[in-house]
Formats: sequence, structure tokens, C-alpha cells
Amino acid sequence: MLTVIGRRLLWAAPNLVLVTALLFFSVASFFGNPAALMLGQDATPEAIADLSHQMGFDRPVIVQYLSWVGNAFAGNLGRSYTTHQTVAEMMARSLPVTIELAVLSILLATVVSVGLNSLTWGERLIRPVVTVLSIVSMTVPNFMLGMCAIFVFSVYLGWLPSVGWVPWSRGLGVHLEHIVLPVVTLSAYYFGAFTLVYRAEYQAVRERLFVRVARAKGLSAHRVSFRHILPNSILPVITYIGISLGQLMGGAVVTETLFSMPGIGKLFVTAVLSRDYPVMLAVGMFIIVSVILMNLLADVVYTLINPQIRLN
Amino acid sequence: MRELLKRPKILIGVAILLVMVAISVLAPLLAPYDPTASSVMFLSPPSPENWLGTDELGRDILSRMVYGGQSSLIVGIGAAVIAAVIGIPVGLCAGYLGGRIDLLATQVIDIFIALPGLILALIITAMVGPTLFNLVLVLGFVSWPRIARLIRGQTLALRESVFVEASKAVGARADWIMLKHIWPNTMRIVAAQFALTVAYSIFTSASLSFLGLGVPPPTPDWGAMVRAGFDYLALNPGMSLAPGAAVAVTVFGFYLIGTSIK
Repeated sequence: MLTVIGRRLLWAAPNLVLVTALLFFSVASFFGNPAALMLGQDATPEAIADLSHQMGFDRPVIVQYLSWVGNAFAGNLGRSYTTHQTVAEMMARSLPVTIELAVLSILLATVVSVGLNSLTWGERLIRPVVTVLSIVSMTVPNFMLGMCAIFVFSVYLGWLPSVGWVPWSRGLGVHLEHIVLPVVTLSAYYFGAFTLVYRAEYQAVRERLFVRVARAKGLSAHRVSFRHILPNSILPVITYIGISLGQLMGGAVVTETLFSMPGIGKLFVTAVLSRDYPVMLAVGMFIIVSVILMNLLADVVYTLINPQIRLN
Repeated sequence: MRELLKRPKILIGVAILLVMVAISVLAPLLAPYDPTASSVMFLSPPSPENWLGTDELGRDILSRMVYGGQSSLIVGIGAAVIAAVIGIPVGLCAGYLGGRIDLLATQVIDIFIALPGLILALIITAMVGPTLFNLVLVLGFVSWPRIARLIRGQTLALRESVFVEASKAVGARADWIMLKHIWPNTMRIVAAQFALTVAYSIFTSASLSFLGLGVPPPTPDWGAMVRAGFDYLALNPGMSLAPGAAVAVTVFGFYLIGTSIK
């Protein structure tokens, strides 16, 4: 097992270096001199050159990249140009929000999609509804779904608060109230995607011999579906969960912005829009690393659960 | 083709597509007002004069929606064309030539596919600046790996087929085999992925606009309209829900076409 993980890590390492370097170089070359950005329009060339020298922006990009990576490993990600807080602090504050959103949404999407597609009663009625819902949830943009949810539940019915984030410390009820709509909105796409993947596998597994045997033994349709077919068709969903979690660590950019959730995604968009170079770079790097590591994790879990598959 | 057109899913998709194209092309005739002309009638609710009301600058929302289709379709189709232009040759070469070229190509493709497309598009758009032309390039650049991967897979399978072997036996060169034998056999899957890429690009460009990095104002754009209308959701829900629905329907149409060809 460890060798498998080790080999995958070794395989992922050059990717990590390549992509992070690419991000660093392109950010550095496209956004121009950060010193000029920091000093504003009226800065004299001398002042810019001076600050560049002080901050080390006049060194070759490769040196800047290496020193950035070195600092990052030491936990120093620089300071934001706009808020002047340390980037590490800002990210540490945003990360729990994003993790909670991501985990809850994926959990919801998994339970609902796997559950609905394994049901044995009312199949005629439920299946077409689930199919339509899954297509709709994958094609309607997040902001539209979220906006409809806000309109119905906050503006029209007035049941739930519309936007904003309340931490756990202010009470469980208020916290959940604020997080329901974003979680449901975010989970919609994954509900659709998981349904597609799960159902294809479910239908293939249903035709297998052991399922017929289980039925022949006289087990109820319900038990056959949940105990025999489900565990054997959930593998592709698990892989998908790993990949989705990796992508969601980068924040659900649109959902977080719509609902004003102070997560990684919101932080990133704000940084990009205000050209907050250190924040953008740090969050961008974080996203790349988490995507690559989560994909790796998904592969490993896949082999753990299904020993038939050996990584080559 | 005829057999394809009998399927209800594809019929709905094509119907949506035709309506969208017609509306966009005929926008100057259909729109009751100039989409960029503001008036003193700020944020008026739907009325016989302005069916969907007016926005925060007093512009007619219906007219802006009608014109908004143009930029969405241009970005979506343009991006898919760019993605195909990069993805098809890469996929063909990687699949047919194999070896180091294949290894390098798959590596690049895999990294690209793993990264979230919206975030990639967000970074690049922020760098190059959000113009209509740049958006087409950026979204095309973000989506080519999927096309390349599909073509590569098809090519790998086709490479072993008898007609390719026969062609090799009579001395055909690699470029000839790729162009004349393999490429025509991947057309269907390319068409499917093309439609899906259009759907994805319209979806992503609307999201970018919503985040504030879309087609710059005053050009009417659905995503940006949703964003502007969000602040006035209680006042006039149609201001953001109507353009949002337009994005959803268009994406839905292309998605239906793409999935049913596959």
C-alpha cells in the first residue's frame, strides 16, 4: 500500500512543480511589477525601482519562485496588498468555511443521489423525475439555482436568511440556517453528476449473477438493492467524490460569492479582482496542490476498496 | 443524421438552439429599445412599455436580454472552435503516433482536466483582460484537453483496425492515415463534444460575468445582468431571474444535443 502511495506521490511531484511554476511565471509576467501596483499611479520610476529592489522583485523570476516556495514551506505567504494582513492568516480563516461547505454538499449529494437511485419502490414514478432533476441540476448555473433558492425561501417565504455567514460560536441553529441554502445550491451539480455515474454502474451490476442469486434466495428487493447492488456499484462515485472534493477545496467560487460566504473561493475572487498578487498566488497554489493531492487520494482509496485494480 | 433527428432529446435541443440563434440574429428587429440606451425610468417593474421592467440605469431589460444572446453564442461557439482546433490535432497525434509524444500530451491533458476550469479561466481572464475576443480564447484554451482526450481514445482504438493496416500496407504516410482514415471516424464524437464544449463555455462565461470578469459593460451580457439584478431581487425578481433562465435554457439545449449524439 505504502509503495503505491509513494509511487503516486513521486508521479505527482513533477506535476506540482510544473503547474505551480507555470502559475508563478504567468502571474509575474502578466501582472507587471507588483511594486508599481503597490505604489499606485503617481509613483516615480525611482521609487518603484527602489521598492522592487527592497522586496526582491528585480531578481530573476526563477529565484523569486524558489524563494516563494521556500517561504511557503516556512508558513510565510506574504501580506495582502489590500488588507495588509498575512496571507496565511486570511487563508486559515477562510479554509474552515470552505471545508464545511464542501463536505456537507458532497455528503448531501452522495446520500440523495445514491439513495434515490437505489430505491426499489415507486421506480416508475421516481426514475424519470430523478433523470430530469439531474440534467437540470447539471445545466442550470449555480448562481441561477442559488438565486432562485434565495428568492423563494428568503424573499418570498421569508423562512431563511438570504446571505452571510454566522460562525458556530453564535449558536448551532443560526449557523445551520445560514448554511442550508449554499449547501443545497452547491450540492445540486454533484447530485446530477453522481446520479449519472452511479446509475450507469448500478444498472450494469444489477444484471450480474450474484444479484440473481440474492433474489433467488428470496431476499426482498429492497435488501438486494441496498445490500448487494449498492456496495458493488458505489466505486465510481467514490472516485468522483475525491476529485470533487479536491476541486471544491479551491472554494465554490460562484456559490461563495453569491451567498457572501467568507471561504477560499470568495477570497480568491476578491484577490483576482483587486489584483492582490500575494493572496492570488497563495490561493492559486493551494488550489493546485489540493486538486493534485485529492486526485491522488481518490486513486489510493480506489485501490484500497477494490483490490482488483492495481495501479501501474 | 435522419435517425438522430428522430430522438426527442435532440429535437428539443435543436429547437432551443434554433430559437436562440434566431433571436440573436434578429435582435435589432426584435428588441423594443436600444439595449444600451438609459432613461430616467430606473428600476421600473414590468409594464406594457417594458415587459420585464428596466434596470438600475433605466435600460430596458427585455432588449438587453435579446441582445445578450449574441455575446453568449459568440463566446460559446467561438471557444468550442478554438478548443477543437487545438484538441483535434493533439488528440490525433498523441493517439496515432504514441510513444513520447503521447506521454507528454496525456500528461498535459490530465493536469488541465484536473484543474477546475472556472478557476483557470478566472486567473487567465484576470491576466489578459476581459474582452469578448479574450474570453473566446481563454475558454477555448481551458476546454481543449477534453476534446484531445476523447480523440486520443478513439484514435488508439482505430489505429488497430483493419482499414488502417491496409492503408499502411499500401504505403500511406501517417499524416494521410490520420486525415483520411481516422479523423472521419471520430467526427461523431467530436460533434458531441463540440456541443458540450459550447454548453460548458456559455456556462463558464456566464459565471465569469457573474463574478465580475465577463464581457465589459455596456455590452448586454446575461451573466452580468444576473449580477446587477441580484441587488434588486426583492424589487424586481425578473431583472436577474430572466437572464439567468436564458443562460440555463441555452446551456440545456447544447447539453441535450451533445449527450444525445454521444
